[in-house]
Amino acid sequence: MKFADTTARDASRPISARAGIGLRFRHHQPVIDTRPDVAWFEVHTENYMGGGRVPDYLDTIRRDYPVSLHGVGLSLGSAEGLDASHLARVGSVVDRLEPGLVSEHLSWSISGGNYLADLLPLPMTEEALSVVCRHVDQVQTYLKRRILVENPSTYLRFVHSTIPEWEFLAHVAQRTGCGILCDVNNIYVSASNHGWDATEYLHALPPGAIGEIHLAGHSVRDAGDGQTIRIDDHGSRVCPEVWALYRFALKRFGPVPTLIEWDTDVPPLDILMDEAMTAQAILDGAGDEFAQSHAA
Amino acid sequence: MNSHNPTLLELQHAMQRTMLNGRDGDVEAWMVDEGMGTTMRLGIYRNTSSSVMATALRHAFPAVRQLVGEEFFEGASRLFAAQTPRRSAWLDAYGSDFPAFLGRLPHAASVPYLADVARLEWQVNQVLHAPATPPLDLARLAALSEAQLAQAHLVPRPEVRLVRCEFPVDAIWRAVLEGDDRAMAAIDLADAPVWLRVLRTDSGPEVVRLRENEWRLLDALFSGQPLHAALAEARGEQTHALLAAQLASGYFKDLDCDITSVAQSSKG
Repeated sequence: MKFADTTARDASRPISARAGIGLRFRHHQPVIDTRPDVAWFEVHTENYMGGGRVPDYLDTIRRDYPVSLHGVGLSLGSAEGLDASHLARVGSVVDRLEPGLVSEHLSWSISGGNYLADLLPLPMTEEALSVVCRHVDQVQTYLKRRILVENPSTYLRFVHSTIPEWEFLAHVAQRTGCGILCDVNNIYVSASNHGWDATEYLHALPPGAIGEIHLAGHSVRDAGDGQTIRIDDHGSRVCPEVWALYRFALKRFGPVPTLIEWDTDVPPLDILMDEAMTAQAILDGAGDEFAQSHAA
Repeated sequence: MNSHNPTLLELQHAMQRTMLNGRDGDVEAWMVDEGMGTTMRLGIYRNTSSSVMATALRHAFPAVRQLVGEEFFEGASRLFAAQTPRRSAWLDAYGSDFPAFLGRLPHAASVPYLADVARLEWQVNQVLHAPATPPLDLARLAALSEAQLAQAHLVPRPEVRLVRCEFPVDAIWRAVLEGDDRAMAAIDLADAPVWLRVLRTDSGPEVVRLRENEWRLLDALFSGQPLHAALAEARGEQTHALLAAQLASGYFKDLDCDITSVAQSSKG
């Protein structure tokens, strides 16, 4: 029984409702050397599945900082079922790191044993909802812990979808007891790409289920005929519209652990810390506001 | 055209044909027309996937990349990615077939040792990502009878790999990664084949040339041959001394000894 193990329990450090940073390889050494004032770090589960120096860095870093695990590879929406060997690898990383939070995506990647792409969109149907819920149950049972499921950025939709994505996500949380990782940038990107109302999306999510928020930059691409499409490339600062949406989200959800993600052309740590400070200032303000509105 | 609503499995199979074979027609009839071409929308996913795979290859094969240049490497890795789907969500596992692909690539024929450098880099990559395992406690060998010892299989540590190459790729690999043009110019391509042992150490990957008989004995043991068979097959002298040295080097993590079968065979 791993949760009866006192050592393991002590090693697991909760993620507080503060601003954290996505930890990428180029920042391993700077973080160890300078011990920056960052509340917590999140890493990609799939980057820490092997042995060697990479997980050793993280073992060192997690002595000083709470760490969260964010996966892209479980393919929760695969009709063919979960890849048991990948789930076992995720389980090993979770056992090793004892992360404060574990998250995955509302998406799929695997068909016919081939890993086609990260974060492919699902049709929003009752059948897909059953499949995702079954797999979230399976993952939570295997890991013996609650996971968070994140809304992805999407670039296409299917004609036979019958459930709005925000309702789909709320159903998954309700049926499985999982939490929601609310990626505010992804909501903004998908809402822009599909003509949704981003605030309606946030209104539909159950506040009690929100376990984490993600913020990142995205790019805008000319799609011809006067159209643009927003691409979730995590390669720039958070845009003003997404900061505004974040303030709106915190008013509704209260303070939530918030992560700054940056994966393309990863900048120096100072830039990420600057983004995290902006998020922290909004979190601090929202905390006061949320407390007042709930005391009233 | 698809007229019915697909099941999730049907849709995902159609998406598989789209992603792997470019057959966008199979899935586009089920996509909402949002005013931008379906091919362009599907292309976002295809390009992202292709970039992820190309980046994985860049990290795994840094010496190959420097040998052929950025542009060639980018083209070769995109072509490889288009032909070789990922089989695992674990990206570090992607690229095992890249050396063989380079060996078949006509445009790479002007660098005859390229595929061999890639083979070495893949093994380096494997040891770098291998789980850390403690070496075998040699006292366990001492506790075995002669008959048990003869039948015992040694299990190699994943931090150790063997590779044999037709070119002196250890010297090439080192010279390229260290940017040592003089060392590169001094390499005699005829100084081959090379019998290499790749090991992860605290300071990084260590690539060492072994003598042929030393390598063959180790290779036989790594491939699971029982001790006595591996020793019998090993050519040259002092094979027992070689074995002792290899055991002392900590190349093995475990000992697999089926005591029951040994007991039965010794009775017969």
